[in-house]
Amino acid sequence: MNFHFYQIIIVIISAFMIFKGIADYAKGKGGQTFHKLAIRIIIWGGMALVALFPDTLALLAKALGIIDNMNAVILTGFLLVFLMIFKLLSAIERLEQDISEVTRKESLKDIEKKN
Amino acid sequence: MESFQITSFSFFMDENNKIFIVIPAYNEGCVIQGVVNEIKKNGYPNIIVVDDGSPDDTFDKAGSAGAIVFRHKINRGKGAATKTGIEAAKLLGAGIIVTMDGDGQHDPGDICKLIEPIKKGLDAVLGTRLKNPRGMPWYKIIQNKIGNILTWYLFGLYVTDSQSGFRAYSRRAAEIINTRADRYEYDSEVIREIYVYKLKYKEIPIRVRYTEYSMGKTQKQGFINGLNTLYKMFWKLIN
Repeated sequence: MNFHFYQIIIVIISAFMIFKGIADYAKGKGGQTFHKLAIRIIIWGGMALVALFPDTLALLAKALGIIDNMNAVILTGFLLVFLMIFKLLSAIERLEQDISEVTRKESLKDIEKKN
Repeated sequence: MESFQITSFSFFMDENNKIFIVIPAYNEGCVIQGVVNEIKKNGYPNIIVVDDGSPDDTFDKAGSAGAIVFRHKINRGKGAATKTGIEAAKLLGAGIIVTMDGDGQHDPGDICKLIEPIKKGLDAVLGTRLKNPRGMPWYKIIQNKIGNILTWYLFGLYVTDSQSGFRAYSRRAAEIINTRADRYEYDSEVIREIYVYKLKYKEIPIRVRYTEYSMGKTQKQGFINGLNTLYKMFWKLIN
């Protein structure tokens, strides 16, 4: 069975995201709940499944009109853009939380000193 | 300039001195003095106002009214300001923490109803507008019901007013609840924490005074802000 380069990349990224979710859940880090973990596995697992076995979605692809190679390329492009946006939004979210934490620490610094 | 001001702070003379009222405020300069004074008249001297980076004189007005005032140098949102206020109350030795809005829509006369169950051993009391929606605009009722259903679906607990900012927490609950939400999704995240940590809670009907001032504020939870809150709730779930 021959795999294309993009399939391998998507599987590696998906495996990493799922592994990180499971590791966070096991350590109880980052507010990772079972519900969040399940959603993460469905999204990233689904992405890996589609990348590895595109034929399994042949019926759906036909129904949606995605039947030739050009459409597959466009779809892959969308997936990559989605991935990049996901990472960007994650980074922004982390930065926002860090900014709030710094702002909070700054506003409470005098009272913390007095305690 | 110091980032906080204590203008009147009497140490634990009676049990009300263990009760801290936390008010997140953004651009509430024209009403905040009245809000602080009304709470003091109801017998609660420990009022913490967190000025969330307001360009107006909210910080000075709240301080001159006798509140303990903290300032966020930049605007971080209602959730972030409430969390700062709760952290400050914990540092000041609070036994019970009550959160209220800064626009005067909550009636300080309801504080005693909220803290009574906490004194009897409950962890959290949620003020609910929906059990007594008199005077509440119809679109706010619908908006609230949608918020309740989404909060239940995403966070697992159905409450009648998931977006109410008028709540009371025991010291224990304040130590346990750890939110990450900065903006209006904070209120729903507290519901999640109550569910996850199995905190004992109760809903108490509260009276809300919708004034021209409070309804006219652009930063309130309107339709667009509501969609933004929804997006953030979903995002936090998958991220």
